[in-house]
Amino acid sequence: MNGQAQDAAAAGSPLRPAPPLPAGPLPDGAPAAGPLPDAAPARGVAGSDHGGAPWALWRRQLGAVARLELRKSFLGKRALGLYLLAMAPPAVFALRAMLPRAIADPGNLGDATLLMAELYQGFILRVVVFLGCVAIFGNLVRREVLDRSLHFYFLTPLRRELLVLAKYLTGLAVSLTLFGASTLASFFLAYLPYDARLRAGFLLHGPGLAHLGAYLLVTALACAGYGAAFLALGFFFRSPAIPALALFGWEAIHFLLPPVLKQVSVIHYLQALCPVPLSQGPFALLADAPSTWVSICGLLALTVVLVAVSTLRIRRMEISYLDD
Amino acid sequence: MTAGTGGAPAAGPQAGGGAAGGGAGGGVAPGTGAAGGFAAGTAAAGAGDRIVFDDVSKFYGEVLGVNRVRLSIPPGITGLVGPNGSGKTTLMNLMVGLLRPSRGSVRVLGMATDRPEQLFRRVGYATQYDAFPPGLTGYQLIESLLRVHGYDPRQADALAWRALERVGMVEAGGRKVAAYSKGMRQRVKLAQAIAHQPSVLVLDEPLNGLDPMARAELIALLRELAGAGLWVVVSSHILHEVDLISDQVVMLNGGYVVAEGDIVGVRDEMEEQHPAQVLIRCDRPDLLAARAFAQDHVVEARMLADRSGLLLRTRDAARFYQMLNRVVVDEGLTVESVAPADADVEAVYQYLIDAEPGNGGRS
Repeated sequence: MNGQAQDAAAAGSPLRPAPPLPAGPLPDGAPAAGPLPDAAPARGVAGSDHGGAPWALWRRQLGAVARLELRKSFLGKRALGLYLLAMAPPAVFALRAMLPRAIADPGNLGDATLLMAELYQGFILRVVVFLGCVAIFGNLVRREVLDRSLHFYFLTPLRRELLVLAKYLTGLAVSLTLFGASTLASFFLAYLPYDARLRAGFLLHGPGLAHLGAYLLVTALACAGYGAAFLALGFFFRSPAIPALALFGWEAIHFLLPPVLKQVSVIHYLQALCPVPLSQGPFALLADAPSTWVSICGLLALTVVLVAVSTLRIRRMEISYLDD
Repeated sequence: MTAGTGGAPAAGPQAGGGAAGGGAGGGVAPGTGAAGGFAAGTAAAGAGDRIVFDDVSKFYGEVLGVNRVRLSIPPGITGLVGPNGSGKTTLMNLMVGLLRPSRGSVRVLGMATDRPEQLFRRVGYATQYDAFPPGLTGYQLIESLLRVHGYDPRQADALAWRALERVGMVEAGGRKVAAYSKGMRQRVKLAQAIAHQPSVLVLDEPLNGLDPMARAELIALLRELAGAGLWVVVSSHILHEVDLISDQVVMLNGGYVVAEGDIVGVRDEMEEQHPAQVLIRCDRPDLLAARAFAQDHVVEARMLADRSGLLLRTRDAARFYQMLNRVVVDEGLTVESVAPADADVEAVYQYLIDAEPGNGGRS
């Protein structure tokens, strides 16, 4: 049997007239699709064509894009590396908890607090969250351009701005889940080998929960800010990895930068929110840390601006795949 | 009916100045000279119920995509025909807003192509790109995209299965698209394009990879859709396919529209430069040849090798057929068959581009 015959056999049945669709009332704002005659054109969607914001439709479309993105990008083999990356910090703490003599003094929680602070700022924030956001957000648009499947979205009655927003929110949800869980697990595993009574006191009556909340907040802001940056880079660079590497280097030498330049690095604001300040080393140029509200509002404003840049960019985007 | 991109009514390869760059493929004159239902039109003419290209050009940097295209496409099946690189895909991508024109404007049933939220309620497009979102089955692909349209889960499910059924892919719908053959991927792309029941269906090389039976079935489906009043725009570089499918054709070469309209009309306009060829099988070809040579419009009559008929070339096919009728009635000539020998798209296209081959547009 040749290939074409196999096609026919595999497909199983010839082209045929369509059976009628089940009839019934449509939900608010739904495109008409029910008992139309064969080949009849679909009617418009309430709201979108008649002025006013069709919030119900947009909400459904956001959900549909998120569902599709999760299915094709985050629930398959492609996401395996991402999961491994997120599991790395808890694995380090779990290994430390299991190794004999790894804990010098089980009664000194200060060791755990310092180690958590160092590992969080040096590894989780700068490496895991950063690279994770490159992988998640940098590929939201760029990968679909490279594998030539972005047009499927462009051929639906979906505002392109909404597509960017839906992709960004999906990436944010995924990154928050993965790296939030990673931060949470790391925090508890850091204190696990220590005396249970001290641990409970630290968490329930001491600064433990405040530390945890601060770490989760920083993780969330890092995902939002880096995510928006890498999403935008995906529109401007054929390979977002190169500008991401440059940004990685910039963030890595942040402690050497003069105070003015420190203010244009994301890590400057994230570190200011961390609960345990760390020494920047003997060569660091010191600068005043921004206030909590300046850090939070500044990072959120940066996020909004970068997502807006992405929406403007996609509005003008053409699909020819010829340059990619 | 018009041949050309606008300007003087075109007559054939030698007529008019063609388009810039010498790439007008046969020198068909620019202009809108309209004489029929599918004539190149202006944006104002029937814009609400046509697909209108108003002096549209598209350049990729220095490279020509299409240039100075004026079209007004009515309902029915319209074939875009031309060799690879002639601008077919560019024209289709402009039609659905995947590309923006460098100059001019495109409106689909009165809608601007930069408003996908409106446009794709009524337009479905199966691209030539043979790529799909990873990890999805055929059903999941279509159902997910219908959800992006805004359909609720129940309706998306029903429409997805309906579309799969129409293209004969119900049994394969649960398998991963990555495991599909070329023909099955073509079908699932078509299913995705028709799933939301659009008014305008744009299909880029839809017959590629299909076996003969599937081609026949697809052609029947397209005819059914066109019969229901849809605008079906189909591209192909295989001319006889377009001949089979289309109610009207747009011929492209090197980024220029070299002719448009129903194929017989295009052919008629070329009679002066390229006399029509008619093949007649009859019992007394020598008698017919003698009668034919008495006519001033017959320029050649050649006996077939087996002496079973004649191949005639005439500048006025209508008068020739009248003369043939008279011979049949007066002389008792027995005619087995009469058929135009060069009234198909392939012959017409060849006439149009023979003088000046394409000049490097892209598809």
